[in-house]
Amino acid sequence: MYDLIIIGGGPSGVAAGVYAARKQIKTALITESFGGQSYVSADIQNWIGTKSISGLDLAKTFEEHLRAQEGIEIIAGDKVEKIEDNGESFTLTTKNGQTLESKYLLICTGSHRRRLNIPGEAEHEGRGVVYCSICDAPLFKNKEVAVIGGGNAGLEAVVDLLPYATKITLIIRSDTMKGDAITQEKIKADPKVEIMYQVDTKEVLGEKFVSGIKYLDKKDNQEKELAVQGVFVEIGAVPNSDIVQGLVNINERKEIVVDHKTEQTSHPRIWAVGDVSDVLYKQNNISAGDAVKAVLNIYDRIVKGEKKS
Amino acid sequence: MSQVTIYSTPTCVYCKAAKEYFEKNNVAYTEHNVAEDEKALQEMQDKSGQFGVPVIDINGTIIVGFDQGAIDKALAK
Repeated sequence: MYDLIIIGGGPSGVAAGVYAARKQIKTALITESFGGQSYVSADIQNWIGTKSISGLDLAKTFEEHLRAQEGIEIIAGDKVEKIEDNGESFTLTTKNGQTLESKYLLICTGSHRRRLNIPGEAEHEGRGVVYCSICDAPLFKNKEVAVIGGGNAGLEAVVDLLPYATKITLIIRSDTMKGDAITQEKIKADPKVEIMYQVDTKEVLGEKFVSGIKYLDKKDNQEKELAVQGVFVEIGAVPNSDIVQGLVNINERKEIVVDHKTEQTSHPRIWAVGDVSDVLYKQNNISAGDAVKAVLNIYDRIVKGEKKS
Repeated sequence: MSQVTIYSTPTCVYCKAAKEYFEKNNVAYTEHNVAEDEKALQEMQDKSGQFGVPVIDINGTIIVGFDQGAIDKALAK
């Protein structure tokens, strides 16, 4: 029986693990991998104390820092699939068939990329539909592509594609582009880039590989088609809160609702931090800090609980 | 000894992670940069039926993405 199980190996999970170990809380941390969503970033320049680091290297420093702690059980390469509440404790079952018990839980599961959920999308993943622009942009040399999403991620996908694609159509649902002003100027000035506003993407077309998209132009309410060989989907993220569905309050954006003073959820023995929570700003530094808050609050609870008995 | 080929792009983090994993475990591999090598890109598409990177070929077992479990299993065969 553990006092605490931390689920997740991003900035929040690792920060929680380091603090829990130093507080000598009997803890296990379960994660599929380390680093969180920044893993694919080529260059992170806002991780405090570090001028510039790649996502891959950041993930390594996380893992190294965590493994340097004594007394914490680290279960990497596995995933929690079921959580049962026994009243006094929880029983967790993992993908690899392990069963673990803990008094308290800290959910640091982050979020995953939002999909369009339109016909043709799933069938064409890896066949022209792309969710990692930095990975796959070089494969669209001399091709025409669409980038879906008018936020920072969408703009950055356009920038990733500029050296390769012959034509890039940026598709934005609303009538305004969001994202950094500098990036906006850069892509607006490039003759290869066309920007379409007020457009809803309806279908990904193609036989084996993507040949185009069908979209609704909300300006004249007409359905139209655009011939492209690539569709880069950059429309935000969905919190990975399914694992505690039914145990805690989750809002309409699928975020776990927490008390921002303590990070406790609506359940008295579950805490949640980082992108899976309803924190207003999703940032590595904030996730790490909020995780520290959660562990200190859990520690207080353990100390108080022991005094009571 | 396993015959290992990785199809990659220079900007792909999962490709880099996969290569580091091979190096850590002393697995020799051949790398094709499909951003430059169009023949290799076609070969990768034929093998995997798709064109996301990385594609890893271990003795004929095709793995799309950096899937450590699948890599370990294919190497152990």
